[in-house]
Amino acid sequence: MASVIRIRQLCKQYGAGEQQVKALRGVDLDIQQGEFVAVMGPSGSGKSTFMNLIGCLDSPSSGQIILQGEDVSQLSANALATVRNNYLGFVFQQFNLLARTSALENVMLPLLYSMLPDEQHKHRALTCLEQVGLAQRLWHMPSQLSGGQQQRVAIARALVNEPALLLADEPTGALDTQTGLEIMQIFQALNRQGKTLVLVTHEPDIAAFASRILMFRDGQLVSDQQQTPEDASDALLAFKQGAAS
Amino acid sequence: MTNRKLLMGAWNNLSVNLMRSILTMLGIIIGVASVIIMLALGNGAKRQVDEQIRNLGGNVFVVFGGSFNSAGVRGQAGSLQRLTDADADAIEHNISAVVAAAPELRSNVQVISGNLNWATNVIGSDNRLLVAQNWTLSDGREFSAAELGRGAKVALIGETLRRELFGAGEAIGQTIRVNKLPVTVIGVLGAKGQSARGDDQDDVLIMPLDTVRKKISGINRANPKAIRSITVKVATQQDMPWVEEEMTRLLSQRLKSAGNDIPFRIRNLSEIVETRMQAMQVFNSLLAGVAAVSLLVGGIGIMNIMLVSVTERTREIGLRMAVGAKPGDILRQFLVESVLLCGVGGAIGIVIAALTCLVLAQGFAMAAVLQWQVAILSLGFSAVIGIFFGYYPARQAAGLQPIDALRYE
Ligand SMILES: Nc1ncnc2c1ncn2[C@@H]1O[C@H](COP(=O)(O)OP(=O)(O)O)[C@@H](O)[C@H]1O
Ligand SMILES: [Mg+2]
Repeated sequence: MASVIRIRQLCKQYGAGEQQVKALRGVDLDIQQGEFVAVMGPSGSGKSTFMNLIGCLDSPSSGQIILQGEDVSQLSANALATVRNNYLGFVFQQFNLLARTSALENVMLPLLYSMLPDEQHKHRALTCLEQVGLAQRLWHMPSQLSGGQQQRVAIARALVNEPALLLADEPTGALDTQTGLEIMQIFQALNRQGKTLVLVTHEPDIAAFASRILMFRDGQLVSDQQQTPEDASDALLAFKQGAAS
Repeated sequence: MTNRKLLMGAWNNLSVNLMRSILTMLGIIIGVASVIIMLALGNGAKRQVDEQIRNLGGNVFVVFGGSFNSAGVRGQAGSLQRLTDADADAIEHNISAVVAAAPELRSNVQVISGNLNWATNVIGSDNRLLVAQNWTLSDGREFSAAELGRGAKVALIGETLRRELFGAGEAIGQTIRVNKLPVTVIGVLGAKGQSARGDDQDDVLIMPLDTVRKKISGINRANPKAIRSITVKVATQQDMPWVEEEMTRLLSQRLKSAGNDIPFRIRNLSEIVETRMQAMQVFNSLLAGVAAVSLLVGGIGIMNIMLVSVTERTREIGLRMAVGAKPGDILRQFLVESVLLCGVGGAIGIVIAALTCLVLAQGFAMAAVLQWQVAILSLGFSAVIGIFFGYYPARQAAGLQPIDALRYE
């Protein structure tokens, strides 16, 4: 299987001198196509820093990130924008939808900066909204949607440019348990269709749906385990029954 | 990202914050409108002056009799009545570029026709005055040689006089009383309108020189042939300087000055008007300058709001970058917004200026001439302001690291 991303001696420091924080201290890692990776670790262990680096939202202090065979660790701002647009989809804890902008337009946003011809934008966005079960809410504004629905729009937006790697930093962090499970159901379905996923969580219940678990502590990768994922649909059903009784 | 989408996105964003957009544009609207109005007023005034110069006939000197100057007390120009008819003839005959030199006497008179009366100035002269002052006849005829020779009781009247005395009735052939002297109207002068000083040029009554001299103003015993002034029309603008020199020499010979007396004065009427116009233009440029400053202040207002907008939308910028927007895309987005703000503001300013000019012209009879070049120029100028004052905030936005923008609280 091909590596979607290869990471070598990845380091990131914030600040300088006395106040310097070593957020990542030499991480080595390969992620294969089709994997569903959960990143865990205590707060402040460098999970978000790691995600931002592989998501090309920030540049490393040292080390290499090789995404789809291309070294992206030293690229210019413009080249990084293109990489993000072509290969990456990012889902945030706080959804980060554009206010006063419809669900459909939010989903089409990445296509605005892509080479895809204008005529195909709407169709693409519609397909992605269907995938997350929101085909009925195209013209709703974010303020008219529930948290779970907003996160689904955000997932559709991350999918719309057909990225090689889907990244999510605590996507269920702002949601209640049931909605979180629904979101995980979507992620798991995407993974089963072949999407490569990296997802940060500090909840073991959420990490259980992944096929591989990375543990961070003090900016270092301290454990890397494969596992058999639990089924999110089963978990959701069980949760609903538990809530009902 | 296509230009159309860029423009639509900017438009959406501005209409979402409608009130703020309008308030921001207000500076540009006022700036552009006032610049255009000031220039239109200046332009209108210039046209008025041009018209006055044209009415004046251009290339005209007026030679006044000199003033006495005894023991440091200087009299009024013309107080020394030493100019005579012969001086006018001499100027006309001896200086080739002089088209006409008309002698003039003036007197305040009361004109009566039936039960209507009117106070005005009578000018005693001859047909040369019509040439020198650019008069046309709208009705009737000029003086005949015989009438001039014998000092006949005939008159040419201006349009104002005709209207006041005869209204819709026929003027030619009517008898009017000029200070009790019965005089026959033989011609009506074509209308000229206001002079550069703002007085009514059509309030005029012209009679033969000798008639005025003998029957109205009375003969000056010291100098029976005395006149008040000579209006001299010169062929072309280029001839003016040397004609003035030549006249000075000629008149100096003819009118020997006694002691400190200044025997004559030559005034260039178009020069007077032009000086006035220059002063007016300076004043207008000053006003336009003030207006331009207000435009500048408007531009700074745009910059301020764009900076606020960048700060407010930092997370949005971060998100756009996260999904693939290049710094250039962000730069263009904010630049287009700022140019759109200024462009729409400028367009509204032009409309307001046009309406104001219309109101000024129709309601207040002020000369405000709107030039479409100025309108287009100011629209372009406001777009430039948009680019200039939008660039800094836009670059500020484009220079953000995606992650810093996303994390911004
Ligand atoms: N922008 C930043 N400036 C300075 N320090 C930072 C910044 N971002 C993160 N850190 C520090 O880096 C370390 C790792 O942070 P982070 O990656 O956010 O951890 P996690 O997501 O695992 O909670 C923490 O000590 C945090 O304080
Ligand atoms: Mg974090």
